[in-house]
Amino acid sequence: MSAGPRRIGLSTPALVGVIFGAAIMVAPLIWTLLLSFKSNADLMRDSATAFSGPYTLENYGAILQGSQVFRWLLNSAIVSLGTTAGVLILCSLAGYGFARLDFPFRRTLFVFVLLGLAIPEQAVILPRHQLFAELHLHNSYTGLILPGLVAPFGVFFMTQYFRAIPRELDEAALLDGASRFRLFWKVLLPLTIPAQATLGVFTFLGSWNDYWWPLISATRSDRFTLTVGLASSQMNYAQTSGLGFLMAQAVFASIPILIVYIIFQKQIVRAMAGAAVR
Amino acid sequence: MASLELHDIRKAYGDTLVLDGVSLSMEPCEFVAFLGPSGSGKSTLLRIIAGLETPDSGEVLLEGRRIDRLAPGERDVAMVFQHYALYPHMSVRENMSFGLRNARVAKEEIAARVAQAARVLEIEEQLDKKPGQLSGGQRQRVAIGRAIVKQPKLFLLDEPLSNLDAALRLRTRVEIAQLRQRVEAALIMVTHDQAEAMTLADRIVVMNDRRIQQVGPPMEIYARPANAFVARFVGSPAMTLASAVLIPGDGGFARVRLGDGAEVETRVAASGLPAGAPLQLGLRPENVAVTRHDAGTTTAKVELVERLGDRTLVYARLADGLEVTAQDEGDSRIRLGDEIGLRIDGAAAHLFGPDGTGHHAEPLA
Amino acid sequence: MRSRWRRLEGFAFVGPFLLLYVFILIYPLILGIGISFNRADLFGARQWVGTENYARLLADPVFHQSVLNSLKLVLLIVPALTIIALALALALNRPTRTAAVFRGIFFSSSVLSVTIVTLIWRFVLTPDAGLIAKVMQALGRDPIPFLSDPNLTIPALAITTIWWCIGLPMMLFLAGLQQIPGDIYEAASLDKASRWTSFRRITLPSIRRTLILVVMLQTAAQLQLFGQAQLLTAGGPSGTSRPIVLYIYEVAFGRWELGYAAAAAEMLFLIVLAVTLIQYWAVTRREPER
Repeated sequence: MSAGPRRIGLSTPALVGVIFGAAIMVAPLIWTLLLSFKSNADLMRDSATAFSGPYTLENYGAILQGSQVFRWLLNSAIVSLGTTAGVLILCSLAGYGFARLDFPFRRTLFVFVLLGLAIPEQAVILPRHQLFAELHLHNSYTGLILPGLVAPFGVFFMTQYFRAIPRELDEAALLDGASRFRLFWKVLLPLTIPAQATLGVFTFLGSWNDYWWPLISATRSDRFTLTVGLASSQMNYAQTSGLGFLMAQAVFASIPILIVYIIFQKQIVRAMAGAAVR
Repeated sequence: MASLELHDIRKAYGDTLVLDGVSLSMEPCEFVAFLGPSGSGKSTLLRIIAGLETPDSGEVLLEGRRIDRLAPGERDVAMVFQHYALYPHMSVRENMSFGLRNARVAKEEIAARVAQAARVLEIEEQLDKKPGQLSGGQRQRVAIGRAIVKQPKLFLLDEPLSNLDAALRLRTRVEIAQLRQRVEAALIMVTHDQAEAMTLADRIVVMNDRRIQQVGPPMEIYARPANAFVARFVGSPAMTLASAVLIPGDGGFARVRLGDGAEVETRVAASGLPAGAPLQLGLRPENVAVTRHDAGTTTAKVELVERLGDRTLVYARLADGLEVTAQDEGDSRIRLGDEIGLRIDGAAAHLFGPDGTGHHAEPLA
Repeated sequence: MRSRWRRLEGFAFVGPFLLLYVFILIYPLILGIGISFNRADLFGARQWVGTENYARLLADPVFHQSVLNSLKLVLLIVPALTIIALALALALNRPTRTAAVFRGIFFSSSVLSVTIVTLIWRFVLTPDAGLIAKVMQALGRDPIPFLSDPNLTIPALAITTIWWCIGLPMMLFLAGLQQIPGDIYEAASLDKASRWTSFRRITLPSIRRTLILVVMLQTAAQLQLFGQAQLLTAGGPSGTSRPIVLYIYEVAFGRWELGYAAAAAEMLFLIVLAVTLIQYWAVTRREPER
């Protein structure tokens, strides 16, 4: 059970503080929501009209009627799902290899992978940009997915999880005539499903919200991910979109990730706490 | 043709020697127990036979075929693990079919074997359940079933009774005995419990300190232990070993004097004993009877009394401090602190030389 | 013979990951160090100049400004974030449904991307149409120029970032608090300890490790702050809110000076490393507990 000082209820100042804090958390979100339901014309006059009617769905209509937002959504979906699938496969294979198989330099290689955790994005992103330019990988799904597949945390996480499975199962499978791969595929991998869920959601989230790499790799607007597209919208705000439309885009962009959050809340929290503690 | 043969198996982990030249030959369809304390190497030997470890030197042959270089799945050997090692995410049926599917046995054949094994082991109702939904006893039967369907030439059982409570232990002993009847294969069971080995095995391989100490049928191990270790390991409560000195006796039999002066006439041939060396006299509790203080071979003071219902075990101390275990009637009136007489049945006594080698009484005509 | 192949089997499993790892992380890392010693542009031209880039950086007042900005941001964000997150964790560390709902609210902002967050906060902060401006108007006061006043841009970024990032440290503190056994508090209350005393003497020491972790992680993370600065204030006005990473971005993709930008990136790497090590040293210098 959760520990900590046992109190029947929260002291009044604390309660006030929490409610006040929650209000601050929620106010900007509600504001954005309200703005998205107003016509751009109304808002141009005075954004305070968001507090009163009339409200309209025209901004969402504009999105649904073939704004680039849909294209961006599709790009994000493909990149994030591709990255997630790739990470799960690569890190599961590597995790099993490090945890269960004995091969030369195993320990050294594992440490080598762990060191990658200490490397910040900035040290790598510029040369990687050069490299991918030479390989003509920019403005492509491959170019966006590949960097995401390099996940030392994923390997560490899966290795620890495989290690925790009792070796007796391996031995029973070997005596049952299973090859090492079949042992991995049929016996051990199904037992890692909770870890897969955690790692998968964590990877999906990170990939979906990634900003800097997609910003410099996908420069054509039809190749933007949702995150990058939203930034470009923001910067073009004055010229093109109206405030209401912009806010509708923000809401629209939030929906997929909030859905994922609601469904996978447990996994997300577990993953982020785990990643931080390493 | 022998079923399993081990030739001079040697195994070390780094600097630690675990098995020191172990050899053995098993009859077809024989039930052998590897008995010994932890660290004796018995589990390692089992794992080497299974293929989960490789020996540093030596050979393993099954029905004449060398298997020590083969993968575990290719040896025609099945193992029942101490903690069952059932695949948690697969149903009982899938658990039992996994090995056969890997061997590409025909689907109908698999279904038939699984059905039959389930019927015999009375787990038909559980076939579609997962191991997590089963009781301990059911899980064990599934583990046995998984081994049976493979129709192997050799069954390996790794401490099958160790982590069971008393009631389950009895049931499982029966299961194993029945298993033995049902299959046409040899069985090897690893255990540290001498009672298990004694009741189930055709022959016991007693191991200690990386070597085989003695191989033989249970009664032979019990009646004629090859050395002091085997003598004390098998039989409960353990045999008493008392320091003894050889004194001249009549006939060709050895006569010894104990530390407190008592003299015991044995039926051990004196000629076989090393001259002038310190000996140990081995006495099982059933060979030491309790009598009146003045009517026995020697006297002792009672330190502990264990009433078992059908007999009473009396732990007593001789005048020189030696502890002896004796046996009395179930309704014995012995109490703590009593001064009693002990009548030692010298004819059943054993003698152990300074190196531990056992010398036993000549069998009566 | 067979066993030799068996020994190499592991490579088949770790190989795919390792290949990508070397090619997409290690190789660019080394490449980056190399580039930093060159005068290079984005189109491939290279000219070896030794440590000239680094010398230029050390003398560059714009770079200095960006380092200072990053440090200011860290000093504004990390303590506030830590204290607020700890306070929330303490208040919400109970098994009730309401607490769970509140925890969900405070964590939900962390799953949004930086672009969504900056979009939302732009129209909270901006003095013409923003939420705060409208509230101030309703109260009869003038709007506050968060995004254009050089003294206010960094605080504005700090507020946005704290709003965005409060969830994770709060969760870490909650995890740390839940590992404290409840009986200690009961014993303390039997010893007539006041709330404040039991907080100071029991709670704080017990979560020391989590505290250190949160501070170190957040410092490293906020030194690398980028998106908010680029989108909310564009680093302005006149670079007063430009952190290091934005500086690198502008040098690389605005001025096409790849070598110089690479050198700045390596400098950032060193700064983050140095700060982390200093923190680590400062922490382990004290007597270890137990």
